[in-house]
Amino acid sequence: MNIQYKKGVLELCVLSLLKKRDCYGYEISEYLSKHIDIADGTVYPILRKLKSEGLLTTYLQEESGGPPRKYYRLTQLGRETYEKEREEYLNFAKRVESLLEDDIND
Amino acid sequence: MTKNEFLSKLADELKKNNVADADDIICEYEQHFAFKMADGYSEEEIAAKLGDPAELASQFEGPAQEKSYAGKKLITVTGLFFVDIFIGALFILLISWEIIMAALSIVNAVIAVCLFSNTIPRSIIPHIPYLSGVVFGVAMSALSVLSATGCIYFYSFIRQFMRSYGRFHKNTIAAASGNAVLPPLAVHPKLPAKINRRIRSVTLFSLVIFTACVVLGMVISMILSGSIEFWHAWGWFGYGINR
Repeated sequence: MNIQYKKGVLELCVLSLLKKRDCYGYEISEYLSKHIDIADGTVYPILRKLKSEGLLTTYLQEESGGPPRKYYRLTQLGRETYEKEREEYLNFAKRVESLLEDDIND
Repeated sequence: MTKNEFLSKLADELKKNNVADADDIICEYEQHFAFKMADGYSEEEIAAKLGDPAELASQFEGPAQEKSYAGKKLITVTGLFFVDIFIGALFILLISWEIIMAALSIVNAVIAVCLFSNTIPRSIIPHIPYLSGVVFGVAMSALSVLSATGCIYFYSFIRQFMRSYGRFHKNTIAAASGNAVLPPLAVHPKLPAKINRRIRSVTLFSLVIFTACVVLGMVISMILSGSIEFWHAWGWFGYGINR
């Protein structure tokens, strides 16, 4: 599948993960590459874009034995955007699915 | 591609695209390498899985918000500068108090030694019988220990306060430039429980000794001089009966 096609959906996946809990960059990258076939590095530009749009904020947390980790957290705006886009995507996917399945039956 | 090759290629590409905060981005990828390497992957494998640096760099957006932060940062830095002046003065005050307490502790110790050894310079401390002197000497030693523990606790307080303010200072600037912040530090010192207990018991002990010896010393002096106002009897303040 081509990358531009996936990107919008990946943003949704990142928001869905961060809705559950705050994560640092590497965790998000691992989570996505486990479920979806993408290059590991792709997630960092996405995180940055979401942050500059105000959907995410970052904070540092000190870990024992290591440099502080940068955690990402969903903002209120991020939460609202996620709920809205999730609805839209699921609707869209359902329609596409029924269209494509009609194709087989014909 | 090794880690360094990957990171320097990425840095070059980011610079070419004029991406803001390139250091921050590089740092994120560096941490990715660190995590993967801890899991036993080789640098080449990790770099291959990350993708092409040029391709990745093109996915970051060019210079956008750097400007909107500039004004905010200027205001913050100016405000912080004035806060720094006041806090700096407060630090000087606190440090002076620390020095005074240290001096108090030393002076008390010296007085105690003079009283014990009965080598009182007449010009400084007036006549006192040796027995009263020894009891007051113990009181002075206790006071010396008391101010020394005060000194130690106060030192750790100042130190923690400065660190806490330093963290606040750094976070404020970071927040104004849109960077991530660290959690704030507590203002009061967190000494290990064992040391805390020790300081408390030493303080309590020396406080009790000090109070007891002052009272005892006064009683003994009253008996020895045969007068309730023994300081007058011994002519301490330039006028007295026996002078």
